[in-house]
Amino acid sequence: MNLSDLEPKAKEIIQRYDQRRAATLPLLWLVQESFGYVSPEAERWVGGLVGTTVSHVREVVSFYTMYRTAPAGRRELRVCMSLPCLLRGANDVPHEIEKRLSIRPGETTPDGELTLTEVECLCSCEIAPMAQLDEQFVGPLDKGALDDLLGGLTREPEPFITTDGPILSTRFKDPGGTWFDAYVKDGGYTAAKKALSMTPAAIIEEVGKANLRGLGGAGFPAARKWSFIPKDSPKPKYLVVNADEGEPGTFKDRYILERDPHALLEGMIVAAYTIGSHKAYVYIRGEYFRSAKRMGRAVEEAYAKGWLGKNIQGSGFDLDVVIHRGAGAYICGEETALLSSLEGGKGFPKLKPPFPAISGLFQCPTIVNNVETLSCVPYILRHGAEKFGSIGTPKQGGTRLFCVSGHVNRPGVYEASVGVTLRELIEKHAQGVRGGRKLKAVIPGGISAKILTADEIDVRMDFDSLIAAGSMAGSGGVIVMDETTCMVDALESASNFFHHESCGQCSPCREGTGWIHRILRRVTDAKGQMGKLQDLEDLLAIASDMEGKTICVFADAAAWPVQSYIAKFRGEFEEHIRTGKCVRTSEAVA
Amino acid sequence: MIKLTIDGREVESPEGSTVIQAAEKLGIFIPRYCYHPGLSIAGNCRICLIDVEKNPKLQIACNTPVAPGMVVHTMNEKAEDGRRAVLEFLLANHPLDCPVCDQSGECDLQNFYMNFGLYDPRFREQKVKKKKAVALGPHVMLDQERCILCSRCVRFSDEISKTGEFGIFNRGDRAELGLYPGVVLDNPYSGNVIDICPVGALTEREFRFKARVWYLSSAPSVCNGCSTGCNIDVHFVLDRPHLNDGARVLRLKPRVNPDVNEWWMCDEGRFGFHWIDRERLTKVRHRGADSKWDAALSGIGADLAKLTKIGVIASSQLTTEELFLIREIFQSKLGARVAAPALKPAGKGDDFLLEADRNPNTRGAKLLGLDGTDAASLVTDALEGRLEALWVFGHDLTSMVDAKKLQELSQKLRLFVFSGTNESPTASFAHWVLPTAAYVEKDGTFVNKKGRVQRIGRAFPPLPDSREDWSLLLEIARRLNQPLSFRKPQEIFLGLADAETPFAGLSYETIGLQGAQLKA
Repeated sequence: MNLSDLEPKAKEIIQRYDQRRAATLPLLWLVQESFGYVSPEAERWVGGLVGTTVSHVREVVSFYTMYRTAPAGRRELRVCMSLPCLLRGANDVPHEIEKRLSIRPGETTPDGELTLTEVECLCSCEIAPMAQLDEQFVGPLDKGALDDLLGGLTREPEPFITTDGPILSTRFKDPGGTWFDAYVKDGGYTAAKKALSMTPAAIIEEVGKANLRGLGGAGFPAARKWSFIPKDSPKPKYLVVNADEGEPGTFKDRYILERDPHALLEGMIVAAYTIGSHKAYVYIRGEYFRSAKRMGRAVEEAYAKGWLGKNIQGSGFDLDVVIHRGAGAYICGEETALLSSLEGGKGFPKLKPPFPAISGLFQCPTIVNNVETLSCVPYILRHGAEKFGSIGTPKQGGTRLFCVSGHVNRPGVYEASVGVTLRELIEKHAQGVRGGRKLKAVIPGGISAKILTADEIDVRMDFDSLIAAGSMAGSGGVIVMDETTCMVDALESASNFFHHESCGQCSPCREGTGWIHRILRRVTDAKGQMGKLQDLEDLLAIASDMEGKTICVFADAAAWPVQSYIAKFRGEFEEHIRTGKCVRTSEAVA
Repeated sequence: MIKLTIDGREVESPEGSTVIQAAEKLGIFIPRYCYHPGLSIAGNCRICLIDVEKNPKLQIACNTPVAPGMVVHTMNEKAEDGRRAVLEFLLANHPLDCPVCDQSGECDLQNFYMNFGLYDPRFREQKVKKKKAVALGPHVMLDQERCILCSRCVRFSDEISKTGEFGIFNRGDRAELGLYPGVVLDNPYSGNVIDICPVGALTEREFRFKARVWYLSSAPSVCNGCSTGCNIDVHFVLDRPHLNDGARVLRLKPRVNPDVNEWWMCDEGRFGFHWIDRERLTKVRHRGADSKWDAALSGIGADLAKLTKIGVIASSQLTTEELFLIREIFQSKLGARVAAPALKPAGKGDDFLLEADRNPNTRGAKLLGLDGTDAASLVTDALEGRLEALWVFGHDLTSMVDAKKLQELSQKLRLFVFSGTNESPTASFAHWVLPTAAYVEKDGTFVNKKGRVQRIGRAFPPLPDSREDWSLLLEIARRLNQPLSFRKPQEIFLGLADAETPFAGLSYETIGLQGAQLKA
C-alpha cells in the first residue's frame, strides 16, 4: 500500500470539516492505522492535503503522544503510570513485564510483537492498575491478569458502575451499550422533540432554572454559556463536545459515550438548536478508541432515524455531527486548546479575549460543552427544571457521575446528587478504605484539585461547597489515599503528570512544571537524601509564581497540589527530606 | 479614541488598540519578548504582565484591549513581581552563556534582567539540554538552548515571508525550535528572524564572533539594493580594524519605517554590502599610472573646457543631489548629452519589498529629466566619432560592448573618465580613473519607486584619496570657472528643491529620518 491509495479516504475525511487544516489529526490517524507510523513522506503528504508546511505537520505529530514517527511492534501495550494507578501498584507493572518479556518501556520485543510504553492517565482508574493493549483497556493488572494479558488473553474489565440513575446512569446496565431502539423505548428523544418546538430562549430559561452547571470541571452555568452566543452573527455557529476526558481520577464520560451515547446526542441536538448551530463536533480523546466507535455508531443510527441531518423530524432544523479523535494530550481538555487541536494544530490554549462564544472554532461563535453536562439536558426537558434542580443543591441541580479511585474497597462510577458528601462517597458508595486502613487524604475533583485531609471529608461535592472548603469539585474524580501513602511520592507523581502534559506555550508553566518536577524527583530519589528543607520553600515560591500568569489555568492546576500537599502534610515532607524515609519505605504496604 | 490611565497618566488610544501600544504613546516601555508590532499576538512569553485595577489577575499588556476608564499599573509591586517571576522562569533553562553569545549587549533577556529581574538565582536542577550551533541556512544559526520559544520567528515565516519553515516541536519544556529535517532556511527574507529574535537563539552566521556589539557604531541610511529604498542602520567599526580584516561595515539592519519597509528588509540587501570594503578604487589613475587629484581635476577641467561634444553616462545609483549637479554642470553649462541609466541590471522582484529595479534612485533621475538619453546610443556615438568626451559614473561598459570595441572607444575619445567606487573592467580603458565614495560614505537622497525622498546619511568618511561624487562635481565646476554656490549636499538639495516642483519646500530637516513623499 502506498499513500496515494489513501487519497479517496483522505478526501472523504477532509470534506467533513469546514476548514481543510482541521483534517490534520484524522489524516495522521489514517496514515498511522495504515502504515503503523507516520513517515516523513506521510507528513509531507498530509501537509499538502491540508495546505500547510511540513514543519507545521511535524509540530502536530510531535505534540501528541500517540503518533509514532518510527515503526513499532505489531501491538502496543500502554501502561498507565499516573497517581490513581500508582496508588494501586502500577510501579510493579513495568517490572513484572520486564521479568516476563525482557523489555523496558520504550522497547519492543525482539520478535517485533509488542512495544511497551509508559503513559500518563488513561482515565480508567476504576480498573487500576491498568494498561491499554492496542485499543482495549485491561485491568486491574494483578500478577494473574498480567500473565493472562501477556499470554494473549484479554478480559473485559468488570468494575462497579452505578446503574440506578436517577439521571445519567439509568442506561448503563448493558456493557455493550444502549442503542437507538432501546433508547427510544426508554423515552429517548422526547426531550429533543419537545425542544424543537420550543424557542431557544425558553430552553435557555428552563435549563437555567435547573441550575445545570458545566460538569467538565469549571462549573459554569450551562444556560448562561449558551446565552453568550451572539444572535446577530452572520457566521456559522458551532457546538463542540468536550469528550477529551483526561483529568487523572476521572472516568465518567467514557461510560456515557460507550453505554448511553444517544443521551449525549439528544443533549447535543437540544444545545445546537438552542444556539443556532448546524454543525457539531465531538472531540474524543485519542485513547478512547471504543468510545469513538460507539459514538460513531450512535451518530449513524441517528442519521438513519432522522434525528440528525437535514430537517430533523420535520422541524426544519438541520444538524450534522462529526466525531473527531484526539491523539494524546491532556491539555486538549481545556476548551480553547481543544479548539486549536480541532483546527488541526497543537493543543495550545487560545488567548482570551476573544472568548469562544464570540470567536471560537474557525473564528466563529462556538460553545464547548462537556459530555456529562449535555447528557443531563434531555432529563431536564423531559422531567422539568424543578425536578432536576430538586435533586441537587440550591445552586447546582442534578447528579454527577462521581469517579472514586485509589485506596477504596470498591473503585467505580457512582451517580449521586451533587450535594452528596465526600464521606458518603467514600464510606457508603465505595465501601470504605481498603483493608480497614485509616484514611489519610482525598483529592475530591481530579488531580488538579487541592487535597483534603481525612477530617475534611464531610464537605458536600457541589461546586460551591468545595470551593468554600478550599478545593474544587473539578471533574468529579475522587482519589482516595490511605495511611500507607507517601505524600511526597504522591506529589512527585502529580508533578510528573503536569510536567509531561504542559503544552509549553507560556513560559511560567513550561518552565515551572519541569522545575517543580525536577526538585521533587531529587527529593524522592531512591538514592537517598538529595533534598533540602529549602526545597520546600522553593517549591512553594515556584508554585506561587506560576499562579495566574498564563493563558489557561493549567499552570494554576499544577501549582495547587504543590501548595496543598505541602501545607497539609508539611511534617511528612520535612521528615522525608531529613531522614530520606517515608511511610512507604518504613511500613509494610500490601 | 478611548481614554485610560497608565501609571497615573491619562492617555487616549484608538479603539481596538492594546495597553502595550497605549503605554508606548506615553513613553512607557513595557518589556516584551513574544510581542512584535509586525506580527500576530502570541501572548506566550508573559513578560508584559500589568496590573489592571478591578482585575484580580495580572494581565498581559499585548493582548489587553484598551477600555474607557481603565486604570493600569505597569510598575507597581504586583506587576513587578509578576515580571520577576516570568523572567526567572525564562532563565531557568537558559544556558546563561552570555560570554560566548553574539547577542550579548543587545539581548532582551540580559536587558530586562538588569531592568526588572535582579533576583538571586535559585534554579539548582539540571538544565534541559538541546542542540547548539545548528546552521539553518546560509545566514542563520540556531541555538536551541538559548531559545525562549517566543515564536516570533515562527510567526514571521508564517505571516511575513509566508514560507513556513519554522516549527516548535514537542511540548512542555521539551519543546524546541527548529526546521523540519532537510528544510533549509533560505527564503529571501530569512535574515529578519535574526533581528526579531529577542535572545541569542538565532544569530547571523556571517557576523558570528566577529565583534562584540558594543564596539559597533550605527548610522541611519537607506539600502541601495533596489528602488524600494528600505530604511537601514549601518553597523560599522572604524577603530578596531582587527575585528573584521579591516572591513568597516559589519552588518546592515532594517530601520523601522512604517511607510516603506516596516521592520523588514530582504537578504539580498542585507548581505550585499561587501563591495563597500572590497576591491575599492583607492587611487586616481591616469592612463594606467597612479596620479593625483589635482592633476586629474586640472587635466579633466581643461579638456572639458575645450571640447564640445560631451557625453555623460551617469547612473541611478547616484544621489539626487549628484544627478542634479551633473545636469546643471554637464547638460546646462556644457551642453553635454546626459544619460542616467540603471547601473545594475534588473533582477527578480517580488510582491513584498524587493523590486526588479535594483537601483535606488531611478525615480530621482527621471524626476530630473535624465531618463531621456540612452546610454547605448552614447557609446555608439563615441565609437562612431560623434563624441569627443565621455564620462562614465560607475557603469561597466563591457556589459554593452566587448573589450575590443572598448579599446577602440578609448582611442577615439579625447577624454574618457571613469569615476566609481570599485574596480571595473571599464576602468582599465578609461583615460582617467577617479575613486569615489560609496553611498554610506556620503550624504544625499534617493527617491524610491513610490516617490519618497529619503536621506542616505553618511555613516563614515570616504576612504583616503577618494571623494564624494558631489564634491568632485563641484570642483569640476570650479575648474571650469563656473562655480556653483553650494558647499555641501544639504545646500545642493535646497537648490534642487528651488528648481524642481516635486521637491519644492523640502529640506533635509523636513525629510528627517523617515523620508518625505514628493508631490505627484
